Amino acid sequence: MAQRLQKELANFMRDPIPGMSLDRNLVEGNLNVWVINVDGAPNTLYEGEIFKLQFKFPQRYPFDSPSVMFIGNKIPEHPHIYSNGHICLSILTDEWSPALSVQSVCLSIVSMLSSCKAKSRPPDDERYVQTCRDPSDPKKTRWFFHDDSV
Amino acid sequence: MKVTIKGYTGVAVWKWVANDDTCGICRMPFDSCCNDCKYPGDDCPLVWGQCSHCFHMHCIMKWVNGNQKSNQSCPMCRQAWKIKEK
Repeated sequence: MAQRLQKELANFMRDPIPGMSLDRNLVEGNLNVWVINVDGAPNTLYEGEIFKLQFKFPQRYPFDSPSVMFIGNKIPEHPHIYSNGHICLSILTDEWSPALSVQSVCLSIVSMLSSCKAKSRPPDDERYVQTCRDPSDPKKTRWFFHDDSV
Repeated sequence: MKVTIKGYTGVAVWKWVANDDTCGICRMPFDSCCNDCKYPGDDCPLVWGQCSHCFHMHCIMKWVNGNQKSNQSCPMCRQAWKIKEK
């Protein structure tokens, strides 16, 4: 796992995704938790906003998916992002594949944000945020995916 | 001119013939071994799926033997993973 993460780190530095940068202080010393600064893309609803995206890598990564969520006090307002930072995105759980990477997950999240037409929270936001199994780990939740349009 | 060869040292190189350079799972070159192995080659062979994607055998086995149902599919194309018998 460490070897692959080292490679992913090198790739991420060499080939960064526009609007995304690694919060370096947090990576040094601990490769298993990355925090990525996300700038809302120009000409989208999130232009000018800044978010923090956290990746936690399990021992069996890449055979198990990383836990990915937004952290901090600024959580993007999006129909698939709960106000506690959890993201409803199938590749993060059921459709994870070890051929995916930090970069491909980041791209999915950027495109999810950029294609948003109207800011809102998921319809069950309040209930989910109160009842989810572990606020610090979205992977403990059993996710259902029903809307591919946003 | 007449040349007499008194001796020679043969040198051979090998490489895997695959449609890609690196394993999509561990991201190591195919001509190198997976993260759990020390020596490339027969100790850490490649396998091809019927979908034509190729991985280190150890890497794809770790994926397929995981306990989620999606693990039965090829990490690259999500078709059912079946080893191609040559």
